[in-house]
Amino acid sequence: MNVCGIEWVVCLLVFSALFFLSPCIRFRQILLSGCNFGFVATWVPNLSGWMALALFTGAGFGAAVLLRRYPRKSLLAFYLILLLASFVIIKQYAFLKLLLPAEFFQRVIATVGWSYILFRQIQVAVDAYQSQIENLSLWNYLNFQFNVFGFIAGPIQRYQDFCKSWTELAPILTEAESILRAYLRVFVGVIKITLVAGVCLSLFQSVLRILSDPAAVRHESHGRQILQLAAMFYSYPLYVYFNFSGYCDMVIAGASLFGLKMPENFDRPGLSRNMIEFWTRWHRTLGFWIRDYIFTPMYKAIATHWPKKAGSLAFLCYFVAFFLAGLWHGSTWNFVAYGLLNGLGLAGTKLWETHLVKKRGRAGLRLYLQNPVIHVAAIVLTLNFVCLTMFCFATDLGQTYLVMKNVLSAAT
Amino acid sequence: MKAPTDEVQEVFRNVFGDETIVLTDDMTAADVPGWDSLGHLNLIIALEKRFKIKFATAEIAKLKEDNQNAGTLLALIARKLR
Repeated sequence: MNVCGIEWVVCLLVFSALFFLSPCIRFRQILLSGCNFGFVATWVPNLSGWMALALFTGAGFGAAVLLRRYPRKSLLAFYLILLLASFVIIKQYAFLKLLLPAEFFQRVIATVGWSYILFRQIQVAVDAYQSQIENLSLWNYLNFQFNVFGFIAGPIQRYQDFCKSWTELAPILTEAESILRAYLRVFVGVIKITLVAGVCLSLFQSVLRILSDPAAVRHESHGRQILQLAAMFYSYPLYVYFNFSGYCDMVIAGASLFGLKMPENFDRPGLSRNMIEFWTRWHRTLGFWIRDYIFTPMYKAIATHWPKKAGSLAFLCYFVAFFLAGLWHGSTWNFVAYGLLNGLGLAGTKLWETHLVKKRGRAGLRLYLQNPVIHVAAIVLTLNFVCLTMFCFATDLGQTYLVMKNVLSAAT
Repeated sequence: MKAPTDEVQEVFRNVFGDETIVLTDDMTAADVPGWDSLGHLNLIIALEKRFKIKFATAEIAKLKEDNQNAGTLLALIARKLR
């Protein structure tokens, strides 16, 4: 069942009304739980899919229970290595094709939602190890993992934050105006996905078709080729933005109708003045997750063991953390390129800031940041860099190369 | 137990290289130049060293949320020193 589909919206309206009329917390939990498992069932095609999903999520719960009782670093490390290895194998990452025989890739397991399950597993395991989880139960955990409002594509919520709403599940929107606002946001989400994102995608696809054909490119004037290339360059990121932010509008507003408070995932990303800021505005819950569970431990380890080198190695932490984040987005080589560009963008931002502080001091940096011309230039530069990163996965790398080759050979 | 505000203030001054910082409960990251993600981590590491305490990943993340301020940090340190 697609989140933007009519079935999803109808189910949302019907079940949220039932939720509102439900007499007690237990009833509301059972109702929402039914929605969660019912929704997941529409994505799991067969028994082997269910078994794989049960094993993957069940192992996460078992590990969390063990880590709460025996908070050993070796146990956490063992579990994380096992988890990541199984994830990479099941998702059949492209680089495995260089290492494993072709027969290995013939059996495919449906893995919708697994990338987000992975994030939640790691969060629960690390927080359980650090005694940050108070009420861990299988019932809570399964509903947290299969939460219909975060299962497919986030937002990534912490187990503790989910439990705050879940254990006292009750309508949080009680006035007509706030309920209407939530319905309106769902409607805005539908328009963003079906209309705006749809138009952007069809523009991208039609231009891609032209630019992939050498004969068609030769017939276009030089000015039109540049226009088409620009349309292709900007329409895909716009499609991604409207599609994803529309989805987030729908699930965040939908969750509020069921008494759940989901974290916001977008905060005007087009206004970011550098790549570090971009990841606090775009897919924020992912940016924060990377900061907390990859960047923080890596930087803390460096700063603890080599305090004098920490400052100069910070850019390396940014690079590694966001390179891995890029890789997580997909299993093909496109995402290696996407990860590399993001890693370079963030590391470059940090290096530039360090350079400015060294040269001008903190006060000088403040003046630099307040300069309106530099501010606008930084926003434009960041926006274009972001579009470039997304260009990596708009098509496969071979097709991107073909488009660029066609345009360049026609121009010369 | 109350958090040793003077000592925490000294850590702030060392980490952010600004001797004029006066720590108040309602102070936020926006009030201190350099208190970004990396500055926050440097502060946490310095506080851990100074008070011989450990902050969990979830606690460090929580302190970065929008409604948090120096008062929340002081309260957390006080709880850990208890």
